[in-house]
Amino acid sequence: MTTLSIVMLTIAAWGQRLVGAFLIGPWLEKRPILARAAGLIPAAVVMAVIVQLTVARGSSLVVDERLAGMSVAAVLVWRRAPFIVVVLAAAVVTASFRALVG
Amino acid sequence: MAITFFSLGVTLQVLLIDNGTSSTRALVASVVIFSATSQFAYLAVRDGGGGDWAAIAAGWVVATRFGILAVSLSSRLPQGFWRRAAASINAFDPNVAVAVQQTTPWEVEREFWRTTAGMMLGWFSGLAVGTLLGNVLGDTQRLGLDAIFPAALLAIIGNLLRRRDGFIAGIAGAAICLVLLPIVPAGLPIIVSVFGVAISLIMVRVPGEPRTRRSESASDGEQS
Repeated sequence: MTTLSIVMLTIAAWGQRLVGAFLIGPWLEKRPILARAAGLIPAAVVMAVIVQLTVARGSSLVVDERLAGMSVAAVLVWRRAPFIVVVLAAAVVTASFRALVG
Repeated sequence: MAITFFSLGVTLQVLLIDNGTSSTRALVASVVIFSATSQFAYLAVRDGGGGDWAAIAAGWVVATRFGILAVSLSSRLPQGFWRRAAASINAFDPNVAVAVQQTTPWEVEREFWRTTAGMMLGWFSGLAVGTLLGNVLGDTQRLGLDAIFPAALLAIIGNLLRRRDGFIAGIAGAAICLVLLPIVPAGLPIIVSVFGVAISLIMVRVPGEPRTRRSESASDGEQS
């Protein structure tokens, strides 16, 4: 990570919490539809990050072992498995497919 | 909860070091940024060939999650700027979820800090172990560690995706990213995916009249 990115992301993570608590919070209370929209942002954006990490190689789409690992992880998250189990299963499945194919 | 944050800390450090960040820098970054999801988003864009600013923008968009958590926590705490500020900057999914289930402001505060203490213990020891591991692991691709990264993110937002509107927003965001990825510069698909929220709002109507807050605040507490 670059120094610039460390500084900027620190401002993002700390600043947005404070802005949220003291400025946006009271304002959103009166606007339920915007409050609901704000609550949904993480779902949309984090899913996009997941897509990028699972099927992208640079700017091209590829289907490889990562997709197998992620499918297993998705089922485990759905079944409410503990965090450590989800993460380890994703790694083990991906590594196994890689060993079989490569 | 401590175990979850311990594994999150280990995962993040291993990935940062694997990405070419020196161990000292990775440790400093994770301690001061204090937001694993923003760092994951940043790394995702950099890995995809995006520039520094595109990656930072993605990290900012992802960090809105913390702003939202701070909103639901802050109004439930006892009055006082410093007391609310201190709690807000420590707002993460699990401690806010536990805290907002309490009834009086003092109970909210007590349970919040109790959960936070456990999380921090796990987080900082996880960072330490991950920093050590990151240097000895060797070929992380062979170990499937690149799949840990999206799996960890999915586990973090799991409860949000369990709600109907959260699920549709997630699928829409994923679809937008999938379509745009081959055609626009790296980083942009993640930022544009925010419009998945609009699709969800159009498709899912809140039961009852649109002005009730009751159903929302009840479901907000669930996204731990």
